[in-house]
Amino acid sequence: MEPGQLRVFAQYDRDLTLEADAVVVGSGPAGAVVAKELTDAGKSVVLVEEGPPFVPAEYEFDGGLSMARTMREGGLRTTSGTVMPTMQAVALGGGSLVNSAICNRAPAFILDRWCSDFELERTTRADLDPHYEAVAKFLGIAVTPENVLGRRNLLFRDGCDALGYHCEPMYRNVRGCRGSGECFTGCRSRAKQSMDISYIPAALRGGARVLTSVRIERVLAERWRATGVAGRVVTPFTGRPSHQVRIHAKLVVLAAGCTATPVLLQKSGNLANRSGQVGENLQFHPGVAIMGIFPELVNPRFGATQGYQSRHFLREGFKLETLWAPPAITAVRLPGSGMALKNRLADIPYSAIWDGIAVCNRSIGRVRVRRRSMDPILSWKLHPADVSVLAQALWVLSQIFFAAGARTIVPGVHGIAPELHSLEEAEVLRDRPIRATDLVLAGNHVFCTTRMHGDARLGVVDEMGRCHDFENLYIADTGIFPQCPAVNPMWTGMALAHRSAQQIAQQI
Amino acid sequence: MLTAILCALALGYAVLRVAIGYPDPRRHYHRLGRGEVALISSAAEAMYPAGGPIPSSGLDADLPDYLERLMTASRLQTRILLHLLFFLVEHGTLLFPTPGRGGMRRFSSQDIEQRVAALDGWAESTLFVRRLVFTSLRAVLTMGYFAYPPVVRRLGLAPLAIESPICEADLLYPRIGEKPESIGMTAADLTPPSEGIPLPQDGPLHPGFAEPGA
Ligand SMILES: Cc1cc2nc3c(=O)[nH]c(=O)nc-3n(C[C@H](O)[C@H](O)[C@H](O)COP(=O)(O)OP(=O)(O)OC[C@H]3O[C@@H](n4cnc5c(N)ncnc54)[C@H](O)[C@@H]3O)c2cc1C
Ligand code: SF4
Repeated sequence: MEPGQLRVFAQYDRDLTLEADAVVVGSGPAGAVVAKELTDAGKSVVLVEEGPPFVPAEYEFDGGLSMARTMREGGLRTTSGTVMPTMQAVALGGGSLVNSAICNRAPAFILDRWCSDFELERTTRADLDPHYEAVAKFLGIAVTPENVLGRRNLLFRDGCDALGYHCEPMYRNVRGCRGSGECFTGCRSRAKQSMDISYIPAALRGGARVLTSVRIERVLAERWRATGVAGRVVTPFTGRPSHQVRIHAKLVVLAAGCTATPVLLQKSGNLANRSGQVGENLQFHPGVAIMGIFPELVNPRFGATQGYQSRHFLREGFKLETLWAPPAITAVRLPGSGMALKNRLADIPYSAIWDGIAVCNRSIGRVRVRRRSMDPILSWKLHPADVSVLAQALWVLSQIFFAAGARTIVPGVHGIAPELHSLEEAEVLRDRPIRATDLVLAGNHVFCTTRMHGDARLGVVDEMGRCHDFENLYIADTGIFPQCPAVNPMWTGMALAHRSAQQIAQQI
Repeated sequence: MLTAILCALALGYAVLRVAIGYPDPRRHYHRLGRGEVALISSAAEAMYPAGGPIPSSGLDADLPDYLERLMTASRLQTRILLHLLFFLVEHGTLLFPTPGRGGMRRFSSQDIEQRVAALDGWAESTLFVRRLVFTSLRAVLTMGYFAYPPVVRRLGLAPLAIESPICEADLLYPRIGEKPESIGMTAADLTPPSEGIPLPQDGPLHPGFAEPGA
């Protein structure tokens, strides 16, 4: 296989063995950055991805079918303990293909806390800013223009302004957004700079070899050195394995995602786990949402998928955002059945959905392996104190809705009326005790399962992403975060990956 | 002896309940059993009755057809979960009978008022697991209902036609399952990237959602 080539499922007709300076497992935001930066530094790189590449002709508008094709376990993956859906993509570009492209730098106070609580020395905001900048420049991260925000984003601004809550349009890795609100099923305008149309083509141009539809099942190691990875070609969507693939490399970078990397390490003979921390400390940044119905037409089909946010309450532990998803997924939130449900569906053109995501550092879980499968078992429990933070987010969202002129809100909380018609009615969200099982939760930001820590007994990697136990084994995905970053994680993950890549390039 | 007779009777009842007496579906399904087709249609009718602000009903939307497609696109594990979901709703009336006569009959054999009451029972249950079953059922039915173009057209939510710019990635990636030779485009086919012009909301719909003949 020549440098700069990409291989797709239909091209594998025999077992394959390759050699490289570095092999990167996983083509999401973290892996794609590492692959491109290493090729830029003149290293020979193989980037391996289990999912296939998706072109616009493959995108499905239907939320269910789209998830069945682009997400692990068809989008039905949930945690046990506190049951919460969590989505991880399986596609060239990883989560960037389906995410809303929101880019936020982790706040300085959070990074300071990481440094002090996890014995890190070079992970302050000042340390990371050059890496954030480098990624921003390459992807064209910029503020969402006003003309593609649409009413459902602007109403959020109006509500926050009326209450004096600071808010702002989102920074996103998007060039030329048209406001189609389709980020979740794939950007037909090719405006979202997902990895498959940005970093990965650049890595290929630089000479990287990219294998798609290959699932890595084992990290190869001899004593305390990683020597490569081994896996199989897998059929898209069914995951049926066929030819063997082996890549020998001077250095291995795992960027398979926070839920997959610990499985890979555990299936490789519990590698890099002298600390016992692999798969532990699982944290989410769970979200709750409210739908608001306005007297006038909102036309939610138009507007950047998630175009506005408020970081006003970050120190209280939550962040507020606008949200849109394929109509069917939006409709799934609506309560009831029969004609009552149909009447509510008819309100969707008059509606907006806004969500709150909360730092839940007290809610900890773990990733365990399944026998004969690379899918993880995710156990996690939402701590009552974190439930209170989510409830607080719901209460603030309800204030913003009514301040923006909503006539009704649909809080989606069990035990509370399905519709609330005034702020006074919404006070129940503030006053009534709410349990985890009352909430409709979702958690797509995942961290900490191979966390960084300055003390090798308490973490899996150091702050450059290098495994404490292995000189030439790195981890780059969001599993290395020591805690939730309090904002959307992608940009921080990429900045950390960018920094790791610089060290790796010097090491090989 | 008595135990054996009771077991045999129970087994006979289980077979009757699970396998016998379902109508023949209108078409052949690979992924759905006859009972599941009946359950999906009857639940769709109760969840999305005809009339009201959206004229199309759950029956019009042919949800068994949608679920057949969804299951075909899904992995075995997901399919098993969906089969389990349908089973729970269809036979959950044994554990949680619907009020009124024949409340323990299969969900799909009950009349429409009873089915609506049964769904409400799941939705409002104090048991989290029961509510979860209801939410999951409503989720798959709703996805199917919204996959029916007249529904999203009626709500002004149908996707608009967008001509995707041809970018470097389009020269690299073939359709899934095909070889790169099938791409059939060269650098000469690249088009300028999106300029960020907001999508005109009165523009044509995506062909898959346009009014027939439009
Ligand atoms: C619906 C959704 C919306 C989101 N919106 C935002 C947002 O707007 N902004 C934001 O900051 N974050 C967002 N996130 C989160 C963000 O997308 C993730 O944090 C980010 O993608 C993590 O990047 P990663 O590289 O660590 O892992 P991933 O993106 O998960 O990439 C890992 C890749 O590795 C591959 N892989 C896994 N196992 C193997 C294996 N064994 N062999 C080969 N390949 C393997 C996977 O298929 C995947 O492609 C969203 C997530 C979701 C699901
Ligand atoms: S809102 Fe639409 S045009 Fe804008 S980035 Fe998302 S999918 Fe692309």
